Amino acid sequence: MVMSRAERWVLAPVALLLLDSEGRVIDANDEFLRLLDVPDVEAVAGRRLADLLTVGGRIYWETHLGPRLHIEGRVDEVAVELRTPGGREPVLLTAIGREVRGEHLVEVAMLGARERSRFEQELVGARRAAEEAERRVRLLHGIAADLASVAGLDGVAWVLLRAAVTMLGAGDAALWTPQEGGPLRRWGGAAGVTAPTIDELAEAGVRADGTVVVPLRTAGALLGVLALEPRRAAGSEPVDLRTAAAAGQLAALALARATTHEQSVSVASELQGAMLSDGIVADPQVEIAACYRPGVHDLQVGGDWYDTFRVAPDVVALSVGDVVGRGLKAATAMGQLRTAVRAASDTGLPPEEVVERLDRFVDRTGTGFMASLVYGELDLREGVLRYTCAGHLPPLLVRADGSAGYLWEARSTPLGVRGTTPRVADTVTLAPGDLLLLFTDGVVERRDRPLALALDELAEIVTNALGAGLSGAELLEAVVARAPEDDDACLLAVRWLGPEASGVPATETSRVASADEEGAG
Amino acid sequence: MDVRERNNVRVAGPSDAPTMVLAHGFGCDQSMWRFVAPVFAADHRVVLFDHSGCGASHPASWDPARHAELAGYVADLVEIVEDVADEPVILVGHSVSAVIALLAAAERPDLVDRLVLVGPSPRYIDDEGYRGGFSAEEIDELLETMDANYLGWTQAMAPVIVGNPDRPALGDELAEVFRRNDPAIARQFARVTFLGDNRADLARVRTPSLVVQSREDVIAPPSVGRYVHEHLPGSELVVIDSVGHCPNLSHPALLVGAMRDWLGAP
Repeated sequence: MVMSRAERWVLAPVALLLLDSEGRVIDANDEFLRLLDVPDVEAVAGRRLADLLTVGGRIYWETHLGPRLHIEGRVDEVAVELRTPGGREPVLLTAIGREVRGEHLVEVAMLGARERSRFEQELVGARRAAEEAERRVRLLHGIAADLASVAGLDGVAWVLLRAAVTMLGAGDAALWTPQEGGPLRRWGGAAGVTAPTIDELAEAGVRADGTVVVPLRTAGALLGVLALEPRRAAGSEPVDLRTAAAAGQLAALALARATTHEQSVSVASELQGAMLSDGIVADPQVEIAACYRPGVHDLQVGGDWYDTFRVAPDVVALSVGDVVGRGLKAATAMGQLRTAVRAASDTGLPPEEVVERLDRFVDRTGTGFMASLVYGELDLREGVLRYTCAGHLPPLLVRADGSAGYLWEARSTPLGVRGTTPRVADTVTLAPGDLLLLFTDGVVERRDRPLALALDELAEIVTNALGAGLSGAELLEAVVARAPEDDDACLLAVRWLGPEASGVPATETSRVASADEEGAG
Repeated sequence: MDVRERNNVRVAGPSDAPTMVLAHGFGCDQSMWRFVAPVFAADHRVVLFDHSGCGASHPASWDPARHAELAGYVADLVEIVEDVADEPVILVGHSVSAVIALLAAAERPDLVDRLVLVGPSPRYIDDEGYRGGFSAEEIDELLETMDANYLGWTQAMAPVIVGNPDRPALGDELAEVFRRNDPAIARQFARVTFLGDNRADLARVRTPSLVVQSREDVIAPPSVGRYVHEHLPGSELVVIDSVGHCPNLSHPALLVGAMRDWLGAP
């Protein structure tokens, strides 16, 4: 016997529902009743479909599916779950809205999707895991790149604290690093982010309040502890422990590198400071000031130096030079070369021969190859300067009357480099009050400007500063303040005051100072 | 980025009429207002927009940090209102946007003349002495349901934003825009929407407001509508004979009527 169409609706192998315009059940077929495990249509009639779904499904229905049904007239293959006495029953739902005799009705078909649902969950899980892994790798790459771009401890700390908030999803973060003989040093974070306990130093973990604490270790040594406090706003994702721990490994390596780097920097800069500490001759006939300002963008010390010493009771030698390279090696080479200049000079020996002796020193030792140097000897009684420039920028001479010019004579190649021209020297006679400025290229060199312009500007700055009544250390500070910041800047200012500068006979004072100097040197 | 492009801002109606800004809720886009906006466009300057990460907002509009809390959406809305109007506006918010509108009015009372809140809920999760309608576990279930539809999720939502059967090409284009959006955005928006607690903010609002409550609404039940009315100074409550959380779609005439009664002639 052939079933009627109505009978076939009731017995169809999919769950079918008819809803009124408010989403309430008017009729349901046997398969639906079986899925829901209810005896007859009366058990569900008048109830809203949304109420038969799990809460998640209900919200989804109200916020997504209902609106779509209104706008589009249908929804297809949506995964929701029915609430049944046996638990949740995953189904795929298709619904179509129809106008029937002036009434808005919704027809719904549902297909059990337990197997498919399980399969899809696995797919979703796999896709999520892949996305999560991809995201984590991208993020760690970003952090590694940022950490590689900084050198010192505070740079690493800054990058870490910033990455914690911008990349690791923390609301706030703090870093602790050990310091010699003292308590842990704290970087960043509000007071609410509390210091780690001993127990938290063993491995990365999560506090009761969601704060992730990551000890930063390399080869077993504890170099710091990072605490990541989650964002407090409702709905924020928690900080991911695994990602934070992986970032912690990168951070530990960066901290190790930063610590080693800082040790080397501090040794080099102490060494440099010590080597430059004895370079100013005191004499009433001359006013000498020097200034050394390290570049800001590189923590390593450079190989610049300045020096003054007596080669005769009334002759002061001046040297400013620059060894190629940076760091500890450059600093020690600078020290050796500066001492070599003192050793090479001698009473009555002309400056060009001093430089030739230095060439031989460089040949023999390999130290200071390609170093540049300006060397001069100033006769304090006559005001006569004999000088030579080996690959170095020319000294600036500002006359007492305000006129200025560079000493472009007596130029030759850097140390250890034999040019076609011999080492030469030139002589210039100073008047009382004239100022000589010897300097290294960091004072003027900039990539964005030709050297000639930079030299003009330096001359103008010095002239103006002198015009404003500055002298000595104040003058040099004014000059160095205008110098490019990225490179080391080394300056030596020598103003000859004339033989009558002091009431005390000049030779007397010189002898005393000279004796002191030799004792110190 | 230009605010109008960022949030797909659309303006309709006479330019000299009072401005009405309609903000859509979680799960959809400005097409939620398709039956309401045209009615008001007769005598209001009607402004529609898509929240960042929704509908046809610019793909780069959603920022994981900015939109990790409602404040990000509030800031978006304030910028939109500042951009579209010189005078204080009538701000209409549905569902989570009712709360976003409340926060915007609390922060910038100078921008908002009146507030219409359709199906507002300051907190969805039950608390001591407060019935929001959901337990925390149930909200987790919603996120699971969203995950279960993860594979087809973006495609399923794309047709909703089309809204123009005469220009199917536009639909393809928008569906393409939408597919570029990460389903994670919707998931995060769900967290921000359903895990928030803005009850304390109600007392900060001084703007005259109308609370429109559906007779039956499983998302924002009548008891929650009453709570909002009782804690929102200077508010009026109207319960309309509608069922469901989206009377703007299911019962637009009732909603428009209630709004007209309260707003009066423009």
